Parts: sequence; structure tokens; C-alpha cells
Amino acid sequence: MSGIDTTPLRDVAGPPEPEIPRRRRLRTLVRADRSSLVGHAGATPYVLSGPSIVMVTALLVFPVVYALWVSLFDAEFIGGPQEFVGFDQYTALLQDPDFMWSVGRTLIFVTGVLVIGVPLGLVFAFALSRATGKLRFLRGITIVPYLISGIATAVIFRLILNRDFGEVNRVLGFLGIEDVAWFSDPTLAMLASMLAQVWSDLPLVILLLLGGLMTVDAELLDAADVDGATGWKRALKVSIPLIIPQLVLATILLSYQALTSLGVILALTGGGPVDATRTLPVALYEAAFVDLETNKAMAIVIVILLFNALLTLGYWLLSRRFDLEEA
Amino acid sequence: MTATTVAERRRVSPPEARVKRWLRRIFIGIPLLALAIWTIYPMLMTLSISFKTKADVSADPGLIPANPTLDGYRSVLEREGFQSAFVNSMVVGLGTALLTVILAVPAAYAFARFRFRGRHLLLLFTLLPRLIPGLGLMVPLYRIAVTLGAIDHLLTLIVAFTGTVLPLAVWLFVGFFQQVPRELEEAANVDGASLYSRIRYIVMPLAFPAIITIGVLAFREAWNEFNLVLGLTSSPGSRTLPYELFLMTQTTGFQDNPGQAAFAIMTIIPFIFVYLRLERYVVSGLTSGALK
Repeated sequence: MSGIDTTPLRDVAGPPEPEIPRRRRLRTLVRADRSSLVGHAGATPYVLSGPSIVMVTALLVFPVVYALWVSLFDAEFIGGPQEFVGFDQYTALLQDPDFMWSVGRTLIFVTGVLVIGVPLGLVFAFALSRATGKLRFLRGITIVPYLISGIATAVIFRLILNRDFGEVNRVLGFLGIEDVAWFSDPTLAMLASMLAQVWSDLPLVILLLLGGLMTVDAELLDAADVDGATGWKRALKVSIPLIIPQLVLATILLSYQALTSLGVILALTGGGPVDATRTLPVALYEAAFVDLETNKAMAIVIVILLFNALLTLGYWLLSRRFDLEEA
Repeated sequence: MTATTVAERRRVSPPEARVKRWLRRIFIGIPLLALAIWTIYPMLMTLSISFKTKADVSADPGLIPANPTLDGYRSVLEREGFQSAFVNSMVVGLGTALLTVILAVPAAYAFARFRFRGRHLLLLFTLLPRLIPGLGLMVPLYRIAVTLGAIDHLLTLIVAFTGTVLPLAVWLFVGFFQQVPRELEEAANVDGASLYSRIRYIVMPLAFPAIITIGVLAFREAWNEFNLVLGLTSSPGSRTLPYELFLMTQTTGFQDNPGQAAFAIMTIIPFIFVYLRLERYVVSGLTSGALK
């Protein structure tokens, strides 16, 4: 016989399992795992995972430790000898009005992105969840802005928000609002940055919320339908409460992206006009690559990472609380 | 049951029901139209401007250029730095994808199949990219690269990007590997297959969609990344496309709009092409990638 006889292999896997509760069965599987196939592995798992662990440690963990270390020093002049100053960099930052301005701008920027992004994402997700038949292709297109780099996004927005020929101004002019100078008015420049940021990250929000909406029980919606709750009422009273976990996670995700956004703002407004869009990432860029104040830049890095850690902590706690396997 | 009730109601009052149905269609139709415009129109406008002459950008408001020209693309192609940036982006993108897969597959296999000390690092792996975004690495990696004399090397970019994608890649691979039935491997083991051949001939073919997903994910990261390129390159020949495009916006200002549009289009098109080809593999990976 040339065919492979599989019967002996079944024997290896052991006799058919008796009916046991699911959790118990999982545990027995795990135990079998330890003894069979791979239990006597010795050094193998370390050899297999070693390179990745070393790489991640060297490229993600070490730089942060290094940044923290460097931020404890200062130099009298660029390239001068490094002197240990403890946390002086941080106290200096707290007393620096320019830095506090950047913190304020960041808060405004993140808030604006949320205020625009979350409702927009919710409306689009609702619409997509009802899009059937040929309209389903819209789902595939939705993700496209997410595939585009922040710089290219900024270029696109520089063009469509252009004062003279931008499409947005043409529409506004049609409505009677003439000559909107998006990039020389501080408030509008901030708004333009928010819009570009929302544009590039909205796909994530939409797909996350859409995922939530798809899991909303159709029977529940039908029941609401029968009870006379249709349209807005159904959405507000039935669907939205059910996707609160996704909404919260989408909010955190958007704030995370906005907090660490450099390319979009730098290429769109360069932090201007008159520092209107000089958020923390822009301040970091200027300290490191324009003013060449490395020690100060490292302190800003740590501050940004702290803000970010707060968000991550929130994300983690909430995703655990909502027990979201998929998000 | 429900269907009949709804249908009955419709039969009872046809005109009212028809109005309702139309209203519903409009309530869904308007946001869908808005979504399509929001997503596609900015790109269409950019595409349109890229084919216009500099003067026509403000003189000709039409979506379809009255005097289509390739001048914008010519100005980009003739631009010093574009061609090398394009090649660099390709090399760095493919290199990152390859290195990521090569490093992540064995690591994920270890996490998925073995019980060993350090196995709990996996949880840390999922949190690290969230805790430490590229922006936070930009300046420290720049200083480290200066110290090591590694500035301006493509390999430095590949290694740095791989480092940032790796946690996610490992995490996604673990998920896929856990779905590969253990029995297959046990059978092969009985037949005398070594660890390498089990990975190579059983796990890898079954995890092929995962490899594509993670490859594209890594490629996207390298293709679009700006912060790290800003930190790790300083000379014209070593930059990648986003940095080069950024420099173009800084140097030409609002002078060469068709050129900037053409540049943006040329950085977008290759990746969209890859994406459309592999869409069915990639969407779930991309989204879970973003969310993890």
C-alpha cells in the first residue's frame, strides 16, 4: 500500500476524550501540550524567540531608557560636556511658557479630532452597516485614507483647502462665504490640521464601530422594529448602548493617533501660523532638529510617552473591563 | 414572524409605508454619499490637479483637466532625489517585510507551541507598540544611530522599522499558528519530521494568508513612515518618499501644485495597487493591526 495509513497516528493522540466541561478540557489540552510533541524542547523556544526579543528590546525598550537617561543631563552649549542635572529639564519645561503652550495646543488638537471624528465615524459606520448589495464596495474604499502617509494626506489637504483654487473654498464661496484663508488664520489652521488628521484615521474608527454594529443582534433590532422604534430612535436606544465598548475604544484610538501626529501637522502648517498648531510633536521636532537641544528633546519625548502611557492604560483597562477579545 | 408583521403593516397603509421606505433610503443614502465624497473626492481632486498645468490649477476649476499635461509628473521625475527615494522606499519596504516575517515566524511559533519561561513576554509584546509609538523613538534612535555611525544607511531604516512592526507581527502570527491543528504536527512528528520541516512544510503553508497580511502591514509601515526617516537620514540619497515629499512641500511652497499632487499620487498608487491585489487577506490584518 502506498497510501499513508493514519490509524496509528490517532492512537498517538490518545483515546477519544470523554465529555468534560470546556474549561477542564482546555486545561487537559494544555497539560497534554506540556508532555507530548513539544514538552522536552529545552532551549528551542528561546532560540526561536530570542532574535525577536533582542530586537524589540534594543529598538523599543532601550531607546526609551536611553532618552530618560539623557534627559537627566544638560550641556552649556551645543555639543558641550554633559552635566548631570537631575530633573531640572522637566522643571524647566513646566516653567517654559512655550512648552505649556504646546501642551495646550495638543489638548485642543486632540479634543477637536475627537469632536469631529467620533460623530462622523458613527454616522458613517451606521450608514455602512445598512449598505447592502452593490453598495458594499464602499466598505473596501473606506480604508483607503488609512493607507496613505501623513505627508501625502497633508499635501492633499493643502490642495483642497487652498485659498484660491481649493475645492472647499469653491463650495464655501457658493454658499456666500468668500475667501477663507485656511493657513494664515490661527483658528482655521488648527481646524485644517484636525480635519486632515481625522481624514487619515477615520477608517479605523469606522471599521471598529462597524464591527460593533455587525454584532448587534438582528433579532433585537427586529424586536425594536415591531415595538415601533425605527430609524433614529432605534439607533439611539438600541444600537448605540450596545456598541459603547467600541465607541470608547475608538475614542482612545483617535486620541492616541492625534497625540503622536507629527507628519500631518508639520507638512500642513509647519506648526504655524504664529505657533497656532505647534503641538507637542512639533515642539519635539523643533527642540531636536531645529534648536538641537538634545537633552530638552529627550525630556519632551518622556513627557509625550507619559501622556501616551496614560492613554494606553485607559485602553487596556477598558478593553479588559469590556472583555473585548477582538478590540 | 417579524417579517410578516412588518409586511402586514406595509400592506395596511401602502402610501405611508412607501414614504417611510423612501425616508429610510434617504437617511442611509445621504451619509453613504457623504462618506464616498469624504473618502474619494480629496484624492480625485489631487489626481485632477496632478494633470493640470500650473496656470490651470486656479484658472480651470473642472475635475477633468481642460489641457491635460504630464508636466507635474515630469517635474517630479526630474526632481533630484525622487528616483533614489522611490528605490529606497521599495528596498526598505521589501526589506522590512522580509526581515519582519523571518524574525516573527519562529518567535510566534515558540509563543504558540511551547510553554517556556518568558512566554508571558507575549502580553508585553502586544502592549509595547501602543506604549512606545514611532514618534517617541525618533529622537533617541537618532542619537543612538549617530553614536553608532548608522545614519543614512538603508539597513538602519530596515532594522528600525522591523523593530517597530515586530511586536504586532509576532502577535498576529501567534493567533494564526494557534489555529493550525496540533494533530497535523504530531502526525508529522511521528513520521520523523524535524522542527524545521514542521514549520516549513506544515505551519507556513497553512499560515500563508498571515504571511501576506503581515508582509503588507510591514511594507505599509516602511512605505509611509515619516518620523523615523526624519531622524535616521540626513543626506539626499538616503531618504524615502514621505521625507522627500515633505521637503518638496517645504522648498516649492505653493509654487508647483501639480508637481506636489503628482508626487503624492505616485507615493499612493503603488501601495493602493498592492492593497487591491491582496485586499481579502489584508483588511482584517490591517484593522486588527491598528487596534492591537
